[in-house]
Amino acid sequence: MTFFEDQLEEGVFQICYCKNCNNTIWPFKQICHKCHNKTDWKKSTNIGKIIEFSKKGSTYFGLVEIDEGIRVLGDISSIPTPKIGQAVKMSVSFNAKPHYSFIVENN
Amino acid sequence: MSKVAIIGTGQTKFSKDDGDVEKLLFESASNCIQSVNNCDSNDIDGVLVSTNNNSKYLGAILSETMGIRPKISHSVEHLCSSGTNAIIAAYAYISSGLSEMVLVSGVESATNPGQVLEWDKSRGNLEHPIYWGSMLTKSHKRKFQTTEEELAIVSAKNHKQAMDNPFAYSNEPRTISEVMNSKQITDDLRILDCSRSCSGSSSVLLTSEEKAKTFSDQPIGITGIGQKTTSASFTKNVLEEIESTRIAADSAYKMAKIESKNIDVAEVHDAFSVCELMAISELGITSNDKSGEFVRNLFNTENRMINPRGGLIGAGHPLGATGISQTIEITNQLQGKSDKRQIANVKTGLIHNMSAAGTSSSIMVLEN
Repeated sequence: MTFFEDQLEEGVFQICYCKNCNNTIWPFKQICHKCHNKTDWKKSTNIGKIIEFSKKGSTYFGLVEIDEGIRVLGDISSIPTPKIGQAVKMSVSFNAKPHYSFIVENN
Repeated sequence: MSKVAIIGTGQTKFSKDDGDVEKLLFESASNCIQSVNNCDSNDIDGVLVSTNNNSKYLGAILSETMGIRPKISHSVEHLCSSGTNAIIAAYAYISSGLSEMVLVSGVESATNPGQVLEWDKSRGNLEHPIYWGSMLTKSHKRKFQTTEEELAIVSAKNHKQAMDNPFAYSNEPRTISEVMNSKQITDDLRILDCSRSCSGSSSVLLTSEEKAKTFSDQPIGITGIGQKTTSASFTKNVLEEIESTRIAADSAYKMAKIESKNIDVAEVHDAFSVCELMAISELGITSNDKSGEFVRNLFNTENRMINPRGGLIGAGHPLGATGISQTIEITNQLQGKSDKRQIANVKTGLIHNMSAAGTSSSIMVLEN
């Protein structure tokens, strides 16, 4: 397992960034695609906003942009229909593959 | 630089059942070589295989089976657009003089590893294409007021057109109502909005324009090529756009010295219904807000200009073979050999093949 996956298993979403130019790199890589220097990690704020969403069965899912400017796909917990731009809180886990889940704030 | 032409084509029927990759490959390659006048295996000095299958050394295996000892042989993998990328590689080998005649064969089994890109961690556990397909569809509805009926027309049209394609996995007609009432996959996708992963194989034989005349009465020239990769990960995309298609089309039009209005027939990559609407807009054939109306008009007037063989939705999607089958359809259209699917007075045709939610696109322009 990678460091990123280990951290997801601990419930932490690590943001990969360049130590030289501070560029955020997603999906994570060992080198920065702008200046080719080594990258490092910092914890996400786990706060984001809904870019787009749909529903499968009884579960909403969608594309969320988290504060660090990166986008991920995951399940969205919301009783009313979610709204574009709505603030969400992210929680993460790892079970053979990454799982990203979002709860609409002030739900 | 030599100009390059297509002189032979061969296909197998597509099937939703798993198939033997090597057997399918040999069948389409054999059909292709037999379609060419007086072609001897010694004439072929390049063999490329496009596939997402994990089988090893297929280029060499296909060569040995066909009795070919090529100068150049290897596999090409680029997810759903492996086929057109293999043809583009063959074009480069011939035009540079590294090779004189190249057999390009694409193949896939229905259960293939090319449907999911595990590398893309941004998809989380929602890695199946239906999730990005739903995002593109919802976003298109939101931004361009695209209706569910307009989306269903894409599928109904392509299923109807596939009825006249003997190589399609299914020849069942589907009405707009059947599409709209088919099994719901997500709130924004019905099962009949989705292309189906299939097994199947298709092959083309390419050579220089000068040499082509000795092997074919109707060689079809590849006059424009554009390829663009904007990223590998889905979440880099702007949901309402396929930027890679727009850029690749611009390159292909410039190379062919044509404009979008010159396109008489096009095979476009309708992985999902919305992808056809997005593709014809990015290719400049219509605009995003008019794309639904454009396809409705094609359907109502039985105009087969877009996806005459039924597209991926109607014909099936054997990933590594898809781009080659698209190319065969446009070749046949330009040769006047498309039987019931034939469009009148075709001079210029286009192939649009893309991968991984449109993160890369390959475009070819063919002319007779």
